[in-house]
Amino acid sequence: MAKNDLMTRNLMLDSLRQYAKNRISFNLIREHDAKNQIPLDILKEMYDHDILGVHLLLIPEEYGGLGGQTTEIYRVCEQLARIDLGIATGVFATFLGSDPLNVGGTPEQKAKWFKKIAQENKLVAYGATEADAGSDLVSLRTRAEHVVKDGKVVGYKITGSKMWISNGGVADIYTVLALAPGGPSWFIVEKGTPGFTQDAHEDKHGIRLSNTAGLAFDDVYVPAENLIGLKEGQGFLQAQAVFGYTRLMVAAFGLGGGEEAVETALEYANQRIQAGGPLSQKQGFMLKLITPHYIRFEAARAYIDWTAKQLEVNNHGLATEGAIAKLYATESGNKAAEDAIQAMGGFGYTKEFSVEKIKRDVKITCIYEGTSEVLEMTIFRGRWQEHLKSRGQYYLKQAEEFDALHTQNPEVGADSVALGLRALARVLEDCRVNKLTRHQYVTFQLGDLISEMEVAAVFTRECANKRITEGSRFDLSSLCTMARVNARQSAFKVASEGMRLILGTCPAINTAELSQAVNLVAIEDKMRGLIEDMDVVSAKLREIFKK
Amino acid sequence: MNIIVCIKQVPDSTQVKVDPKTGTLIRAGVPSILNPYDHYALEKALAIKAKTGAKVTVLSMGPNQAVAVLRLALALGADEGILLSDRAFAGSDTWATSYALATAVRKIGKYDLILCGQMAIDGDTAQTGPGIARHLNIPQLTFCETVDADGNQVLVKKLIEGGHQIIQAEMPVLVTMTMPADYMPKYPSFMAAHKAQDKQVFTWTAADIQADVHKLGLEGSPTRVDRIFPPPARPKGEMYSGSAVELANKFVEILKKESIVK
Amino acid sequence: MIQISEKCVGCGKCVAACPFGALSLANRKAVVSNACTMCGSCVSVCPMGALSLPVTGAAKKDLSAYKGVWVFVEVGDNGRTQFIRPVGYELLSKGRELANQLGEELCAVLIGNQVEAYFPELSTYGTDKIYAVSSPSYQQYNTLAYANALVTLIKKYNPSIVLFPSTYVGRDLSPRISSELFVGLTADCTGLSIKEGNLIQTRPAFGGNIMADIKCPDYRPQMATVRPNVFKKAVTTPGRMAIIVKETIPVPVEAGKVRVLETHMDPVSTQEKLDEAPVVIAGGRGMKDKAGFDLLDALAARLGGAVGASRAAIDLGLKDKEKQIGQSGVTVSSKLYVACGISGAVQHIVGMEHCDVIVGINKDANAPIFNVCKYGLVGDAKQILPRILEQLKK
Repeated sequence: MAKNDLMTRNLMLDSLRQYAKNRISFNLIREHDAKNQIPLDILKEMYDHDILGVHLLLIPEEYGGLGGQTTEIYRVCEQLARIDLGIATGVFATFLGSDPLNVGGTPEQKAKWFKKIAQENKLVAYGATEADAGSDLVSLRTRAEHVVKDGKVVGYKITGSKMWISNGGVADIYTVLALAPGGPSWFIVEKGTPGFTQDAHEDKHGIRLSNTAGLAFDDVYVPAENLIGLKEGQGFLQAQAVFGYTRLMVAAFGLGGGEEAVETALEYANQRIQAGGPLSQKQGFMLKLITPHYIRFEAARAYIDWTAKQLEVNNHGLATEGAIAKLYATESGNKAAEDAIQAMGGFGYTKEFSVEKIKRDVKITCIYEGTSEVLEMTIFRGRWQEHLKSRGQYYLKQAEEFDALHTQNPEVGADSVALGLRALARVLEDCRVNKLTRHQYVTFQLGDLISEMEVAAVFTRECANKRITEGSRFDLSSLCTMARVNARQSAFKVASEGMRLILGTCPAINTAELSQAVNLVAIEDKMRGLIEDMDVVSAKLREIFKK
Repeated sequence: MNIIVCIKQVPDSTQVKVDPKTGTLIRAGVPSILNPYDHYALEKALAIKAKTGAKVTVLSMGPNQAVAVLRLALALGADEGILLSDRAFAGSDTWATSYALATAVRKIGKYDLILCGQMAIDGDTAQTGPGIARHLNIPQLTFCETVDADGNQVLVKKLIEGGHQIIQAEMPVLVTMTMPADYMPKYPSFMAAHKAQDKQVFTWTAADIQADVHKLGLEGSPTRVDRIFPPPARPKGEMYSGSAVELANKFVEILKKESIVK
Repeated sequence: MIQISEKCVGCGKCVAACPFGALSLANRKAVVSNACTMCGSCVSVCPMGALSLPVTGAAKKDLSAYKGVWVFVEVGDNGRTQFIRPVGYELLSKGRELANQLGEELCAVLIGNQVEAYFPELSTYGTDKIYAVSSPSYQQYNTLAYANALVTLIKKYNPSIVLFPSTYVGRDLSPRISSELFVGLTADCTGLSIKEGNLIQTRPAFGGNIMADIKCPDYRPQMATVRPNVFKKAVTTPGRMAIIVKETIPVPVEAGKVRVLETHMDPVSTQEKLDEAPVVIAGGRGMKDKAGFDLLDALAARLGGAVGASRAAIDLGLKDKEKQIGQSGVTVSSKLYVACGISGAVQHIVGMEHCDVIVGINKDANAPIFNVCKYGLVGDAKQILPRILEQLKK
């Protein structure tokens, strides 16, 4: 059967949207949020093959699933996040929990477990995190000891505990990371196995519709056939292999949550009359609280989609790109949700409206699947290697591509991208020469600047090639205006923030020379017409989201 | 039994907006949906299919992107989709549209029951269904709430002024469907959406259906739009504001002044 | 697509007028894209006369052979007795105006059984002629039988205009006939007038937020349907008698393929009948929930009226579809109309603008509903209604 085409994806999203409209009212969400309760019946319905069967997306076709590609999975994640991030997390946990099996399972294991998950609509949980082992899995404490019979390893006894496991209290099947004699390994543990208990549901700041619980293992026996891949010591590799992919899904969560918050605020602002006109007509309001966020969402959408398409070709990997997508989209979504409350004033602060809940929810996307700080480090490490390997040419080469794009299409800010990439190359090189990366703070900030510039580059490139990212509601000319605004601001951020880091850690450097080296004046010069462009985007936003 | 359901892609009308300055439609960002009356008609056809094993063909006329509603219909269980798409159809009013659809039905050949929504929510004319029936020279039953078919007979519940009738008719017949107030359109599961990719959608041009080009598009449309204009403004009446109590008093005052109450 | 001639000066007026965004300017000339539906909105706004619809090659009919304004007068049946639906009188009243402008005669078409009883009253609306097809086989409405009778009459007498009521029967019958005769038909007109010998048919278009004038310059007869309560009944001229033309038209055999097994009439009190209620209380999105509509029910009960709703409220499931007031629902012409929490989209306005006294209650002082109100109260109907009910109790 062919891969799902765009129309099929849109159909799935329509079905999901319609289901949510009919079954998941804001009142239902609000009640469960107040009671800190997972709407298990809703989750079960979403798994029902005749209603939605959303979990079938991640199961390969040969095992009764529909073998969803990265693109439809991230788009479904975005839509789920727009409905409720807690529910989204519940669905995502099954996706995530099945991943070790997908990456490392033997054909027999896949057949057995995927068929079970597909046909019996099983909820899955991903058990990796421990009190002392978050993104840093090296400190893993949970152990799996051999059970030997007739000189053969017939099974394992697992002992230890896991923390903050999504679906922890409600899953049927758990994939659990434990330290076997041969190294870290994934095991499949079923609910009800003797010695395996689940802790009480956590009382969380947000995503309160998602069940989160600790897991305790006290000499839990699992047969040897439950060792994923039937080979010990593959656990870290299997976990790392999917980071690019899983982080892309969380990036889509940040995007979806942010969009929902800003659109709610915008709908309010279209109706709220202030001093003779709707709030959405006020330039100060729009340019401070609404427009910049939506520009970042479109940039994030372009980047996520581009990464998804790369992943579909390369299957796994792209850890740096996944990290960039997640860092950029979740931080943007989080800040946007914060401003959505501000935009709605007192209304935004009450539980009558959804934005305060979204704000609480979306914060988790900056934490789980790698905190923003871990991601900054990952991004820095990944690109620092490229910088060193290419002797400083990595971003300079890319800048040339954007010089060419600018001559083809001067409307998309490719000139600013080229300036920004060259500034970034220069900042990295100065950090190398002056050994500034000994400051951990500098590495974090560099990770952030890299992500800022790479997202801007992809957004501008997509627009230059006249590609409208699927799911975007804007026309090409509006997207070009957005890309132009975004490229200018990202280049400025890279140049000015780069200077702050270098001068802040290395006082001996000449300010004027550095300013010239990152071409700050030329970048500032590109700001001409910026506010006018943003006003154009504001007008488009008002038009599209007017009810 | 062979059932043909005629469907249309329409803008989600609750979201159609008009530019207050120019009075023109804002189309950007307005999502398209399957006309809800057609959606209901399709579900009724699929119910008959479930009972009798009938073959359900969906037929639509529109631009290429209208294929999306055919895909939706296939995902819901229709067997085959046909899209009439050709520049020659552009500008068709209900006369030319029903002629084109009827001509396509002739090309499909075998049919016992044709189901249509009573009207499209972007036009509200309710003319296309009866038009198709006349072009095919078969009986029509319009504004039906339910439809059932077996053997060579259909049985419908048809709305009339102030009531309804139960009507039986010999097939072939065309039935147009109204929908219940609380109707919630059914959408396909993910798997059904996935599998619909493998079902066939044929695109037919005016030449494919051997239509008389003089009866298509603008040339085949008797009606012309003379002008489009924003609704005329009128003088504003008396306006009052104040607290709820003050306004309630005002209202009662108005009732007395207009001799609604004493 | 629209044709753009050399006369175009690139003023851009057509770009703004296009409802479909199909026109744009390139090199200071208008260009048209595939989005063009040939609706013709741009043709009249062009100051240079540079835009035109492609000329059709169809041979023009000799239009002068078509004379007379016809009204299909529907005989209603409430299960106990038969009667003329009042909309017939409304259409005759409008038809008289049109006939006067054209200098042609006004004719009523009456199909049924023993319709002679209706001749005197129909005559009092200025009817010049009544074409009557009367036989027991027309006792009950049947699409094929009635369509055949009307087509036979139209072909024989060549009227220039035929008007139908927009009832279940009218909406079933008229498209069947227009399809057979290859003539235009405009549904649910809210206005009819004569311009340059053509019938100008006004109706809301494109989702109901804008009005369109529609004409059929090259085809006769021109056909239109009109909802009940859109036109007012004229003052009658008692004693006037129309010329009666009786025709005998056999019912075609195919008509027998459709058999009415049962007829059920809803037990509806006049209070619930929206289109006949003297007072209508209507609610929109602003009433928020069922509790909001309970307030409307209470007020309607107190004032002896019926409750209706806007399309937005129907979509929210607050009221049954048959209670919808507007273009795609019922048209009302009550003595008092109270619009609560209704913003007033054109699609709603056309269904209630003919009411005598319209009172609007809405939070938004700029809501378009206030443009048609005699009295406008700016406030939250959900707050105000309970106070009104208290007041009325006293």
